[in-house]
Amino acid sequence: MLELKPMPEATVSPGVPKLLQEGFFVRFTDQWPLTLPHVKGKTFQVEKTNQVPYDITRIIPAGNYCDVDMSNATGGENIYPENTKTLYETLLGFKLGNYLVHFYIPAGEYVHRLEQAGMVPNVASATLRYLGARKPEDSPYDDKRIFMYSVKDLEPLILRLLVDNGVLWEKMVLGLVVNKCYLKEISPTSEQLARAKKIDYYTELRW
Amino acid sequence: MPSIVKNMVADTETLVTEKRNAKVKPSLIMVDNVEAGEDSELTFQDIFNTNASIVAATGLAAPAVVGQTVDRLRINVSDDACVSIRDELKDVKFLGGAQVLRTVLGALDPNVNCHVTLGYDLE
Repeated sequence: MLELKPMPEATVSPGVPKLLQEGFFVRFTDQWPLTLPHVKGKTFQVEKTNQVPYDITRIIPAGNYCDVDMSNATGGENIYPENTKTLYETLLGFKLGNYLVHFYIPAGEYVHRLEQAGMVPNVASATLRYLGARKPEDSPYDDKRIFMYSVKDLEPLILRLLVDNGVLWEKMVLGLVVNKCYLKEISPTSEQLARAKKIDYYTELRW
Repeated sequence: MPSIVKNMVADTETLVTEKRNAKVKPSLIMVDNVEAGEDSELTFQDIFNTNASIVAATGLAAPAVVGQTVDRLRINVSDDACVSIRDELKDVKFLGGAQVLRTVLGALDPNVNCHVTLGYDLE
């Protein structure tokens, strides 16, 4: 449900669409919880799509951080679907600046950490602030490489934006493209299942 | 690339208002001080509103600030002179809007005959 697509090593022709398109298949793994019965273990075909751009901006001092809640909770940015048949494929890119972005889902639980005890992101640490952090260069505003997948009632995905030392203030501009996908549940053939994009639950990103 | 010319009718003149999802990247500053009758000290300020945040080292809350200013560039232009800056601006950016202050011997002082031109990009 959260992916960083690396730079391609080679190009193919004709090109491969970056976003989910009409007719594409998506499959939610069995790891999705019972509290999300509308997607758990199910396979869908994308019936229609609509791409919605949006920008989020914050200006804060160096050494400070702020959290951006992508969910529809109070105070959130409302980037989650409200319809059980809708999947949001959200691309995230950053305008250049001296800042780092950590991902948490749900709040307080790091997405990116290592196995050794203590090797977890920590914005208060001069060294661990760089652990698991995405930099603006990792996903440029004009070539977005971070993909997030959200469905109705998914736990909040939190972006912790930290302005690194070296400037007085920084303006952080997060560019989003929300690819709204309207889904139709199917009983997939083995071929459709093989072609379907697998969407993991966030717990599968941590082991 | 837009540009704007302001006469220093007031001691502080707004050049560009903030575009929320972009920074202002100046590409040209020209000051025409030929008719001013006195030397001009010009300070180009960044002006923006900050968001509430948390100090990472202490966990203390830092409130939002309205109208935070930061000096980004300061130049002195002699009477009867006209100067332009282009290459020196490559490392200058404004997070919010841009405004210019005119002073004489450190005191704010408007002068309608001091003309300031700013060329800029939004990025």
